Amino acid sequence: MVAAPRHAGWRRLALALGCACLASLPAAAPALAQGVRVAAASSLAFVMLELEEAFRAEGGAQLRVSLGSSGVFARQIARGAPFDLFLSADEGYVERLNADGHARDAGSVYAIGRLVLFVPAGSPLDPAIELAELPRAHADGRLERLALAQPEHTPYGRAAREALQASAAWDALQPALVYGESVAQAARFATTGAAQAGLLAWSVALQPQVAGQGSYRVLPESLHAPLRQRMVLLRGASVDAEGFYAFLRGARARAIFTRHGFSVPGGG
Amino acid sequence: MSGLRVALEQAGPIPLAAAFDCPRGQLLALVGPSGSGKSTILRCIAGLHRAQRGRVECGGVVLFDSAGGVDVSPQQRRVGMVFQDYALFPHLSVLDNVTLPLRALPAAERERIGRGLLERTRIAGLEARRPHQLSGGEQQRVALARALARDPAVLLLDEPFSAVDQVTRHRLRLELASLSRTLEVPIVLVTHDLDEASMLADQVCVLHRGETLQQGAPDAVLARPASAQVARLIDMRNLFEAQLNGHSAEQGWSELGWGGRTLRCAYAPGYDPGSRVAWCISPTNVLLIPERLRREEGENGLDTAILDLLVGSALTQAVLKCAGPPGLLLHMTLPTRVARRHALAVGGSLRISLPREAIHLMPAAAREGGRRAPT
Amino acid sequence: MDWDAFSISLQLAAATTVILLLGSVWLARWLAWSSFPGRSLVEGVVALPLVLPPTVLGYYLLVAFSRDSLLGRVFETATGTTLAFSFSGLLLASLVYSLPFAVQPLLRAFEAIPPRLREAAWCSGLGGWATFWRVELPLAWPGVLSAAVLTFAHTLGEFGVVLMVGGNIPGSTRTLAISIYDRTQAFDDAAAGSMSLLLLGFALVTVSVVYAVERRRAQLPKAAGQVAP
Repeated sequence: MVAAPRHAGWRRLALALGCACLASLPAAAPALAQGVRVAAASSLAFVMLELEEAFRAEGGAQLRVSLGSSGVFARQIARGAPFDLFLSADEGYVERLNADGHARDAGSVYAIGRLVLFVPAGSPLDPAIELAELPRAHADGRLERLALAQPEHTPYGRAAREALQASAAWDALQPALVYGESVAQAARFATTGAAQAGLLAWSVALQPQVAGQGSYRVLPESLHAPLRQRMVLLRGASVDAEGFYAFLRGARARAIFTRHGFSVPGGG
Repeated sequence: MSGLRVALEQAGPIPLAAAFDCPRGQLLALVGPSGSGKSTILRCIAGLHRAQRGRVECGGVVLFDSAGGVDVSPQQRRVGMVFQDYALFPHLSVLDNVTLPLRALPAAERERIGRGLLERTRIAGLEARRPHQLSGGEQQRVALARALARDPAVLLLDEPFSAVDQVTRHRLRLELASLSRTLEVPIVLVTHDLDEASMLADQVCVLHRGETLQQGAPDAVLARPASAQVARLIDMRNLFEAQLNGHSAEQGWSELGWGGRTLRCAYAPGYDPGSRVAWCISPTNVLLIPERLRREEGENGLDTAILDLLVGSALTQAVLKCAGPPGLLLHMTLPTRVARRHALAVGGSLRISLPREAIHLMPAAAREGGRRAPT
Repeated sequence: MDWDAFSISLQLAAATTVILLLGSVWLARWLAWSSFPGRSLVEGVVALPLVLPPTVLGYYLLVAFSRDSLLGRVFETATGTTLAFSFSGLLLASLVYSLPFAVQPLLRAFEAIPPRLREAAWCSGLGGWATFWRVELPLAWPGVLSAAVLTFAHTLGEFGVVLMVGGNIPGSTRTLAISIYDRTQAFDDAAAGSMSLLLLGFALVTVSVVYAVERRRAQLPKAAGQVAP
């Protein structure tokens, strides 16, 4: 059958595209899943970079880090998500995973977090403002939106709620609250000016991209239950993962944590 | 007998109650108004539609038999079909369109046969063109060539000339006529044009709502329709009712009472005296009586006044009003040169004659169910 | 630039396109040329991923892939890994949410082929497969190209369903779109920006190609006597 020139051109193009597509198909599913698969709370974004560097410098294995909300990770792990190590921003999720048999053991506390009140540059508010005064700021229009992480599934969101409740500001501020899916997203709301203030993790506020956008005040620990951040090795974790776990409990890692807005437990 | 035999029945969606046959080498025209099922019948023969009941046989091969559970697929029926809109493949050249049915043959053979067919249908030289680059007449020829490439056992044409202009249509008809003389297969042509049917066909089959009412040679059907219904379908304009007064077997005539006059027609013993009959006469059979010639009453002379004249290049059509009550109208068709010779003009008077043999009798009541009339 | 994510996105899009094209050609042909009661329902179901919020689709897929479901259990016993949070799960999800992007251009292309042409092919002795290969496909070719390009592009850009069903596992389910989100969360605007630009450029090219193809399709000669659509 003689194909007309016009169609021959299109056919060749489509054939080339098709071959390119097929050529990019792997023989098997992507085999890039080597390395330690870490699920880390998003408050650890900045500190993970330095931890990873230090770990590799000591000869440790490649890390593949996912950042996100602790609660979402906990649910995914319960559904079989293939992580080796889970660094939660609290203890409750880890305990539940252990109770349900998804974790090797009860894990250990690797850091204790702090909550800060962050105020972006150009906001009518001052970070020195007390939480108890925020409702008045909202009433006279200086505080339209207050960003925080989602209390339902993020430890820092829960802590923010506790802090506001302790300051008798929670109910009054309801219409002003915007929730981020993770504390990192809450930070985005605050830095972009979508919110005039944010209740964030100290480790997040320390990140250059956040710190450079405004100022913050570390809130007293008495305002909320302690943010004890627990990590745990999951079932099926590799030997490399065990290596990283051990590293995180070591002195070098603890020093790094301390520099990034965490305190470390005495005995672990 | 070899040739095509068709008998199809179905209740819907298009009702059918058709039966006809077409011997080898003959052309049968299926005529009827739109919606009378002509195309459906063609599709049944081609295998594109399955009737509820019936039988289609061609050249001794049974293509469809509802009783026997036979239904040969269109691919396996050797049917050459020319569709109403030609259905040419727009992405293929003319040569490829024509040789598509010859896929099984080696390339050289395919091309040779294809070029031969293009010659036969008078479109040699257009091999490389695409359908959209062809005129209507050329497309029709390509469709015909493609149908012939099948080496078909029967050729089907579905209103093949309806989409072309008058001049092209005339030329194509001539070519089809000469082609049909050389082809040794039955040809079925669907048309609503009675002139075309009478020009091209060896047999005409009249359809109404899927029912075959009459099959016969064109002049037989067109001059002697089997019933008043057929007469209306073939646009018989001189269609009347009359009373059969009586017969004269020895003298070979029957007498009709019509509009206060009596007419004599050929002896028709099948009708009872005193009964109502329908009768018709083809407009071409209405004769003009020159002034100087007066015939006897036996040839049904009538005085008329010319109401209307349509003068064509070859034929003139006249509408005549018969003198006296009730002033019935007669249509007459005569050669234009004759009309001129007698200086016919609107308003003038004219004496005409209705030859006995030309008066055709039919049953009076128009029944819906007809039978195939004997030819 | 997250090259792993780029590679995963390409592989996902390529695999989805190939599989969907093969399946959709038959589905589209069937829908174009059969009439049966419930045909509208089938067309509606096919179009559903177009109108459903990705989270709704993602939710139902997650339930379907979970360990408690039949599908999830079968997969886990067969391969040892869960269906959710795996590349296979993503592929399955892609086949669902990109289905209308493959079927609809193909359906339009096949519907535009006059039925008489297929009948003429049958009367010329071509069986079902030969008619498809020599008449239907050459005439529907622009639709195939549109379907392929749209499916590829849509799969490349899908986010909501991928996030819910695949999680964000680097090396297996972190596609380019997810990676952009991930980098944004980590305040890595440089990486997020460059990947976004890449996807934007790709989307532009896609849309242009589709429009060019559609314009060509309108110019293609139709069967004699037919009016061009």
